[in-house]
Amino acid sequence: MATQVDDARIIEFDVRTDEMLVNMGPQHPSTHGVLRLVLRTDGEIVSEVEPHLGYLHRCAEKIGENLTPRQWIPYTDRMDYLAGMNMNLGWSLCVEKLIDHQLSEKAKHLRVIIAEMGRIASHLVGMGAYGLDLGTFSPFLYAFREREKILDLFEEACGARLTYSYLTPGGATADLPNGWLQKCEAFLDQFEPIIPEYHALLTTNAIFVKRTAGIGVMSGEMAVDFGCTGPVLRGSGVDYDLRRDGEERYTEMYDGYAFEVISQKDGHYPKDHDYPAVPAEAVLGDCWHRFYVRMLEVVQAIDLVRQAIDRYSTASGDWGVPIKLAHKLPKGEVYLETESPRGQMGFYLVSDGNAIPWRVRARSSCFCNLSVTSDLCRGCLIADVPAIVGSLDVVMGEIDR
Amino acid sequence: MMLLAAFDFDWHAFFFMFFALLTCGFALAVLFTSNIVRMAFYLILSLGASAGLFFLAGAEFVGAMQLMIYVGGTLVLLIFGVMLTAQSRFVTMKTSSGEWVMALVLGGALLFLLLTAAFRVGDWRTGHPNPANVGLAESKTTTQIGMGFTGVRVDKLDAPEGSTLVSGMSGYLLPFVIVSVHLLVVLVGAAYMARTKRRASSAGVGA
Amino acid sequence: MAEFFQQIWDSFFQTSSESPGAIAYLVAAVIHCVLIIHVVAVGALIFIWMERKISGRIQDRLGPTRVGGAFGWLQTLADGIKLIAKEDITPKDADAMLFKAAPYVGFAASYCAYIALPFSDGWVAQHMNTAVFFILAVLGIEVFSPILAGYASGSKWSLFGAMREAAQVVSYEVPLGMCVVVPCMICGTLNLVTIGNMQAGSFTNWLAFNDPFTFIVACVYFTCATASVNRAPFDLAEAESELVAGFHTEYSGLRWSFFFMAEYGSMFLVSGLAAILFFGGWHGPIPIAEPIAGVLSLVVEPLLNFGRYVVGFVVGDLGQVTEGVVATQIANLMGCLNFLVKGTIGVTVMMWVRWTLPRLRIDQVMTTCLKYCVPIAAFGFLGALVWQVNDLPTSNDMPVIGKNRFEVRESWVYQAEKELRTTSGDQKSSPDDQQPPFDPHQATGSTELVPQGAFVMKGGAR
Repeated sequence: MATQVDDARIIEFDVRTDEMLVNMGPQHPSTHGVLRLVLRTDGEIVSEVEPHLGYLHRCAEKIGENLTPRQWIPYTDRMDYLAGMNMNLGWSLCVEKLIDHQLSEKAKHLRVIIAEMGRIASHLVGMGAYGLDLGTFSPFLYAFREREKILDLFEEACGARLTYSYLTPGGATADLPNGWLQKCEAFLDQFEPIIPEYHALLTTNAIFVKRTAGIGVMSGEMAVDFGCTGPVLRGSGVDYDLRRDGEERYTEMYDGYAFEVISQKDGHYPKDHDYPAVPAEAVLGDCWHRFYVRMLEVVQAIDLVRQAIDRYSTASGDWGVPIKLAHKLPKGEVYLETESPRGQMGFYLVSDGNAIPWRVRARSSCFCNLSVTSDLCRGCLIADVPAIVGSLDVVMGEIDR
Repeated sequence: MMLLAAFDFDWHAFFFMFFALLTCGFALAVLFTSNIVRMAFYLILSLGASAGLFFLAGAEFVGAMQLMIYVGGTLVLLIFGVMLTAQSRFVTMKTSSGEWVMALVLGGALLFLLLTAAFRVGDWRTGHPNPANVGLAESKTTTQIGMGFTGVRVDKLDAPEGSTLVSGMSGYLLPFVIVSVHLLVVLVGAAYMARTKRRASSAGVGA
Repeated sequence: MAEFFQQIWDSFFQTSSESPGAIAYLVAAVIHCVLIIHVVAVGALIFIWMERKISGRIQDRLGPTRVGGAFGWLQTLADGIKLIAKEDITPKDADAMLFKAAPYVGFAASYCAYIALPFSDGWVAQHMNTAVFFILAVLGIEVFSPILAGYASGSKWSLFGAMREAAQVVSYEVPLGMCVVVPCMICGTLNLVTIGNMQAGSFTNWLAFNDPFTFIVACVYFTCATASVNRAPFDLAEAESELVAGFHTEYSGLRWSFFFMAEYGSMFLVSGLAAILFFGGWHGPIPIAEPIAGVLSLVVEPLLNFGRYVVGFVVGDLGQVTEGVVATQIANLMGCLNFLVKGTIGVTVMMWVRWTLPRLRIDQVMTTCLKYCVPIAAFGFLGALVWQVNDLPTSNDMPVIGKNRFEVRESWVYQAEKELRTTSGDQKSSPDDQQPPFDPHQATGSTELVPQGAFVMKGGAR
């Protein structure tokens, strides 16, 4: 599927002009932070794209080797700063796996509520920012309006709006406040009818479909080859979600929940709801499908939060008391992956028996997702580059760490 | 009254001189600039000023035509072409002395031809009876040009029958259309020739 | 207007002139210039404020609320002051002369086009017989501003913006021209004042509702106009998600704001042109302006006469206001308001579209133009032509359009012919009774054409 540099289509396209090397980024409105793409262009046609990374490198992993696991929690917030809760969760599970800490039922349901709310918040940014990439401003604000309400809820739970440090090894820093669940349910009730608005503004908008359908098509095999995960992988029709297919320690959180992996199977997405039909121009694995998968995951996350709220209010046990700040870690190494909104977020921890880990590494989902950029963008137009990069929904904080 | 007399000059002549100076000045600027885009910019100004001359003469249709075709059309394409092939050897031009001589001879010959032709037309040697009264609102040049195309010489309505209009021989509509279609064909041909040819080895890949 | 000032001049200096002198023309020109620059510059202030409020409301925000009171009236002015105070940066690689000139080119072109745009019946800086053509020609020049800016900035993003702009505007001139031709064809003139006046009466007389084809053409015109002034979804030249800011990436401060004044100026210009060509110009949907003006003039006229009487003590007797002029001018003023409202509605629609739709890609913009707009405009043109030729029913009840269509066609031929007849002593040509019918076959080159008076447009039932 990937086009070659000597692809006849590129040459036949138009009158050849001088090649130009253009720096898209690191200061550019649509490179999602400080991504730098070096484009080799022939007129409007991009013949080569080379991503350059590292502008947001903050030595997060090395710092993790000088702090106790609980002290490092705030640093995970700052990796994927749009889904801090999910990053907290990944690291907490990893540490719990090392110390073999078992959570109560209630703590698990709390984590589901928080993680799925975080997923909604993150996908809302992804959706709004994708609108910006395609040149429409309003969906961004519509998305942020709702995201702010989620952040209000998070603020009530943990006191922070962006870098939460809420879920920690052992559980969470505090229980959910009184009345929080009702507010959360009220938000979901209010939020769910709004989703068709987003579909009207973006998903089914004729110009949006024209800009995304058939653009940046990635086959399932290619996605797997490049190690793409999350909505990027599922947008190519691969039926893989760590919440179902992951490690026991992670999937047990979702035990008994009714949910299906969002990916196209036999030409259909799961759940026969009244969401817009796939337009005829869309090809499986294109930007439109990646976007649509995110939109459906939002709906699914709403459903999961509702289920989790029901269970949480009747579950036994406590909300999960954090481990000690300087909890002595057993000797050994662990690796655990969770399904963050952007894909497979893995944490690797080696302990030599101290309270401070000997090695900390993170497997970034966006890093792998971004690696397809140069293949997807070859032969596209300049305007497609933001469309493709935006559909991968990368967060540079997580890539550069 | 002195004040009045001082100010009551011939504004028409003033603006004629003004636009004429602009036209010639920027035309010279085109000559003496080596940067091709600046040349184009001066050419815009020069042609725009000559359009001003047309407006001043009450030929507002020709003036607007000048703006639309030469300034808005040809020059845009010129600059567009320069930008597409923006290589340093095209952007600045050096003129050798031989080219100067050649250009002077050619330009001088053309100027001579133009001036002699212009002064042969009797009507053009006398000024407009009242130049200040050439009104744009009432001018009917558009109609005259349009009628001329279809073969009606409106300036010779009182000429004896048969002297100006010969059936089948008058009117420029057909030649005009032929020329414009010809230009279109030339443009299409140029676009075709400028295209890079499809490589024989990769034929059929571009589907 | 020059005549008016000459009249004052003459009565002041006790002179008499046949035609207005240089001073009178100068005063008239300055007044026109000042009025138009207010439309462009103050208009831009208002439209930018409007855009902020509208986009704010569209996006569930309030928009500006503080500067200048509850509605943030003066927000744009504050921004303007900020822009003036900003450092004027010229990049090292820029072609300084062109870089500095480019914003003014665009502003001048946008401003210049207003010369021919009538704001009401006869309220136009320069009444031009080919106003439509002039405006299109000058709008075509505006493209140089982004092109020169993009080239001279020495930035690759600017260059991309400039190339897009050039390709887009040159392409969209074609369907735009085709759409504009349709009202000109129906009215038989390129004169905007005449076109506007042919839509007097109720809104059914508006050319957009003349026949189905003109309605299609009006829609295509608005699309192409949006594209030709670079508004979303066609704002590729400054696409911020792709080209940073396109052609004005390297600009700052006041120079940057000149681009915006030009943009808003031409937005109103094309909307105003749409209003005149398709939506009745300065005529409201219901013909109530003239009766109201008649009533108002009963009050205003004596006041004016008194004023002239008082001023007459100083500059010499000015005499009375001509009968009926005041009513006409009041009606014109109301027409002007009508026109401004219509133009503003057009601008508002453009804003609405901008804040709703994503941006098209460059090839899609070209496709929209060449594969959709051009054929549809051509189809609309042909349809309207057939409609006119076959005298199919129109909603327009103006006699010049509904019936006796040839009456309005460029009356000069009629006059020329009349002069011809009076000089040759032909008695048959006396006034409007029994003219030979217009014969289109004779009109296309027959030698017998002129003697028969075939171009007599009066009573031209065919």
